Amino acid sequence: MKLSDMQKDKCVRVKSLGVDAHFLNRITSIGITEGTTIRVVRNDRKMPVLVYVRQTLLALNREDCEKIEIEEVA
Amino acid sequence: MNSIALLGQPNSGKSTVFNALTGARQHVGNWPGKTVEKKEGSFTYKGAKYTITDLPGSYGLTGNSDEEKITVDYIKAGHADLVCILVDASQLERSMYMLAEFAGMNVPSVLVLNMMDVAEDKGISVNAGELSRRLGIPVLPFTAADGKGYDRLRDLFETELSSPHLLTSAPNLAEAKSLKEQGEAKYTWITQMLEGVTTTGSLDYKMSRFDRLATAPVLGKFISIGVILLGFIVAMAICMPFMMLGSMFPVLMNEPIANALTAIHIHPWLVSIFSLLIPNTLYFSTAMAAFVLGVNLVFGYLEEKGFIARTAYQFDGVLSKVGLQGKAVAPILMGFGCTIGGTSGTRVMDNWGQKMLAMAIVWAVPCGSIWAVMPVISGMFFPWWGTLLVCVGILAYVFVLMWFVSLVFGKKLSPVETRTGMIMELPPYHKVHWGHIVKEAFYKAGDIFVRAFRTVIVISVIFWVLQYSASGSLEDSLLYKIGTFIEPVTKIFGLGWQSFMTFLSSAFAKEAVLGVLNAIFVGQSSLLDATFHAKTSGVEGMALAQIMSQTIAPAEALALIFACTFNIPCVMALSTTYRESHSLKWTARVAAFYVGSALLLACIVYHIASLFM
Repeated sequence: MKLSDMQKDKCVRVKSLGVDAHFLNRITSIGITEGTTIRVVRNDRKMPVLVYVRQTLLALNREDCEKIEIEEVA
Repeated sequence: MNSIALLGQPNSGKSTVFNALTGARQHVGNWPGKTVEKKEGSFTYKGAKYTITDLPGSYGLTGNSDEEKITVDYIKAGHADLVCILVDASQLERSMYMLAEFAGMNVPSVLVLNMMDVAEDKGISVNAGELSRRLGIPVLPFTAADGKGYDRLRDLFETELSSPHLLTSAPNLAEAKSLKEQGEAKYTWITQMLEGVTTTGSLDYKMSRFDRLATAPVLGKFISIGVILLGFIVAMAICMPFMMLGSMFPVLMNEPIANALTAIHIHPWLVSIFSLLIPNTLYFSTAMAAFVLGVNLVFGYLEEKGFIARTAYQFDGVLSKVGLQGKAVAPILMGFGCTIGGTSGTRVMDNWGQKMLAMAIVWAVPCGSIWAVMPVISGMFFPWWGTLLVCVGILAYVFVLMWFVSLVFGKKLSPVETRTGMIMELPPYHKVHWGHIVKEAFYKAGDIFVRAFRTVIVISVIFWVLQYSASGSLEDSLLYKIGTFIEPVTKIFGLGWQSFMTFLSSAFAKEAVLGVLNAIFVGQSSLLDATFHAKTSGVEGMALAQIMSQTIAPAEALALIFACTFNIPCVMALSTTYRESHSLKWTARVAAFYVGSALLLACIVYHIASLFM
């Protein structure tokens, strides 16, 4: 599943971030790596996805969220 | 040498610390050959002098952005004797990443846990002593926005420069081959360092009610726009009293100075410089400084509160089309009130390129004065519905011009490869500490006052020389001679010499346009009075309209209206842009673009309108 398809208030774990080095650098430096658990705070159509991770509220644009493969955790 | 470098992620409070330590003793420029802002300053403490460099903000150091390369090169070259790393204590788990990135560099360092007040509000405690023991470097709990406690920071610098400490722990990257593994190793290290030192790992998050509304897709946009407009009103309210005081300069100084100087038989040239030019320049500079003060107070508040980040989230999609971050919506909206306000509002942008591009785009927004002046001129030539059409046309062209600006300057200022989708943090709403906001706002206002005074005086003198006429008749002025001489050229753009003079004066101040038209056509007041008094009152609308319509055809009038509207906003906006960008080259480029594109627009409008009128 992709992060962009996830409903709000769900907790997810990152399975894969893809292979684009530029994107990997950016997403890692702001706190997301493979294995990180994330809480989806808001996911509205056409808006960046709001997530809570490592004590921080982050806005991630939709296009990038489509590159983030996740699995739901309880 | 006592050279200190500040390193930290965006929102770690670096600039607050930098400004508080250096005050007015700072120099802002660009890194050689780069569109990245370089901030250096100095301070003296207990008799010793320290220099301090605010390294460009970035989330990490591994990437290959200009900001990251500059930072890494600077530290590796050994320019800093001590690196002060700032992290956000309320979100240590994430912001310590900068320390993890720095860890391999083997340069003496200290760690400042900033925003301890926010952390405490969130119920987060940090055991700084234990963290320091694990890292091997001093760790200082701190609240940069609160003006107190800076001596503890200065003391720390003093001790560490004489007996420095190096990190004794670093992420284990021996096994980590790929980028991914390195990133994971860094966070593993952070978790180890913070284990038992602070609370981490919880995914409980409850959005405040206000934030739920502010981040809603449609309602949130209205809230953003509403708050910025409210901010503009507050900024105006702050600057009004100062502006009114400033407007007293010409009123109070003009006659007494003129009388006194005439009495002692000083040449009339000098009399008008001292009695008209200088008091009016004082007025302009005061008005500008007041605007900058108001805007900086309001934006400083909204930024520290965390609200600007929400507007960025709301408008990123729209503004990315012109290469701008979502935050730029705030200065752009402010531009509808006043371009100076919008220009100084670009302080919220993350980097120099974004800031310069935002300023260039703010210039396209017609300010309050334009909306006051242009409909009046339009009304002299066209019926009410024609004026309405002109206004709609102006608004529509704003979007075309913004797109055009982004096409011309966007590639250089916001390179396409760096235009990545938004990945940013929305900081928690902070308690606002007014002390440093007020201090910085007054410092900026004072600074702009001095610079504005110099710029406006120079341009005023040039204008004064051009319009000077020994006989008092306009036909004897240089302006007339030049104007009529180049008329064959300006006619290509649809502008006769009178219109072209008016066009030039619209780069000085939009309020001047009516006065200048009046001076040229009715000739009751001198051109100088018209420009500097910059008032619409006293202009006999009927008489002016009658005389103008005899000389100027409707098509030329239309060309004139568009050319004046989209010319350089005003000499004050020009000087604020220079102040904010500290780049004469870029300010000149943007100014040249606006003059050129306004003339081109006039040309197009004139020739199309001539077909129908």
